[in-house]
Amino acid sequence: MGNSDQHRQIVKQLLDSKAVDFAAIGKVVAEAGPSLSLAEEPGDFFCGTNRIFIRVYRVTDPGTPVENLGELAGSTGVLQG
Amino acid sequence: MRKPTHRQAEPGTWNQHDLLRRLCHALDIAKLTVDHLAANGYTDALDPSKNIRPEKIISETAVLLLAASSAISQKEVASRIHAIAERLMPHARSECAKIGLCLEPSVAWDYALPHVCLSRIGYGDPVFDELLRLSLQAQSHAGRERLPHRMLEQEWAAMGWAQSKCGVKQASRADALRLARLSALHRPMDLLASTRDDLYAFTHALMYVTDFNLNPAPLPRPRALLLAEAETLLAWCLDTQDYDLSGEVLLSWPMTGRTWSPAAAFAFRVLAHVEDQAGFLPTPSTRVDEAKARTGVERTQYLLATAYHTVYVMGLLCAMSLQPGFAPPAIPPVSDKKPGSAKRILKFIEADGKPTHWRDEFDRLAAPQTDALAGFLLHIALRRKTASRDLGKLYDLLKVAHDLELADSPAASQAAELLERLAAYSRISANPQCLPSEAASGVNETLSASSLVRCDTESQRATA
Repeated sequence: MGNSDQHRQIVKQLLDSKAVDFAAIGKVVAEAGPSLSLAEEPGDFFCGTNRIFIRVYRVTDPGTPVENLGELAGSTGVLQG
Repeated sequence: MRKPTHRQAEPGTWNQHDLLRRLCHALDIAKLTVDHLAANGYTDALDPSKNIRPEKIISETAVLLLAASSAISQKEVASRIHAIAERLMPHARSECAKIGLCLEPSVAWDYALPHVCLSRIGYGDPVFDELLRLSLQAQSHAGRERLPHRMLEQEWAAMGWAQSKCGVKQASRADALRLARLSALHRPMDLLASTRDDLYAFTHALMYVTDFNLNPAPLPRPRALLLAEAETLLAWCLDTQDYDLSGEVLLSWPMTGRTWSPAAAFAFRVLAHVEDQAGFLPTPSTRVDEAKARTGVERTQYLLATAYHTVYVMGLLCAMSLQPGFAPPAIPPVSDKKPGSAKRILKFIEADGKPTHWRDEFDRLAAPQTDALAGFLLHIALRRKTASRDLGKLYDLLKVAHDLELADSPAASQAAELLERLAAYSRISANPQCLPSEAASGVNETLSASSLVRCDTESQRATA
């Protein structure tokens, strides 16, 4: 069975199984699940003791969206081609 | 706003002049960045999170030059590489870097990375080579513990140095495959909960393994499997307007082969469109009000510091695409997806009411091309519904995906597995004594759909 077949089969297995109220489960998960994701903890740090030298080709995510593209074009002369 | 270059109207590859123009723009920004920031980096008095060490700028510029060297047959590229290399060399081999080699041999390759990249494109320095050699002979030269993709970075630097000294095109990469098998490239990623760090691990490992097609090592998994995962990651990056990571993930296609999927071709269009609208490929770090609050050199440095990185990523992408036979399609190719697939998946996305740049470009496509992107839309919807814990809609989405024959992707099966786990959690919470016999005996087994059905039936009998 190829990889695509395996993925398809896993989805089909779920869909063929007894109906579950996933909307209700989702509400429980949203309320009672971890508020801070463990997966999002930085992996390079252990108790804050590891020193990061430089991290090439990465940018910190400020968590805000990209600015309006037209306004960026109007305010960033040195970056224009 | 930059006027978009005329694109080919007929099906075909992306206009080579346009790719060249974009690469040259990235190199022009690199020259300014070196002139303004290589000596001292960037310090932001108001927001220290925007501070950048000079070593980062020097290293990233050197990597850009190395990748761009694949297009050096173009005289506009060659002249720019030369101009930047001349400016970069004093910084790459600064007294600070030389002393750093002596003081901290366990990060010798980190200090030497710009020197290695420059040496590979013909701008060597035997004095720095000698200090590097002494540092690598230190007992402690391998004394720093690193993540697998950082270990790959070390191998890549060592390979590059050996290549530059021997003057051969293909240097040995005996360790690369072994290290790649330790990395994110070798096992399925968590496509629904992966973080930016996870994606960086993927993209960087791939850069080092493929060496921008200059001296590639074997991939630890087939290209098709890696790209199937990259498609989901790409969808998420575009949807969150993370153009730095979008560009890096998109590099997966030209760095590993010549063919582009419809989603990858579309993603390139989106990045080009956004770059044309803003004049450069932006990140959220560049804020209009902060730019306007500054003047003169301070403003220039702020703009370069916040924008150079993603500009470089676009440069890398265009450099890879300029290799003969590697350009993306001008228009996403059509596929055999069911007519109307895109519309059915879009309903799950439109309900969120979230404006996105990719949608502007999507709306310009004809119906057969949009249907070819149904998988891309599915990946966006899967990620959004998972993040919002809208599990009812996630289930509905999988049903639609199955009907449309789109459920053959790793993201779809991971979503199904997620729902299976949460269904099991729900049953176990409601009936703690109702456990699969294997779990009761301490054997770690994945619950199957059939065992859940059996459990639920027994539970109903017990409470009847």
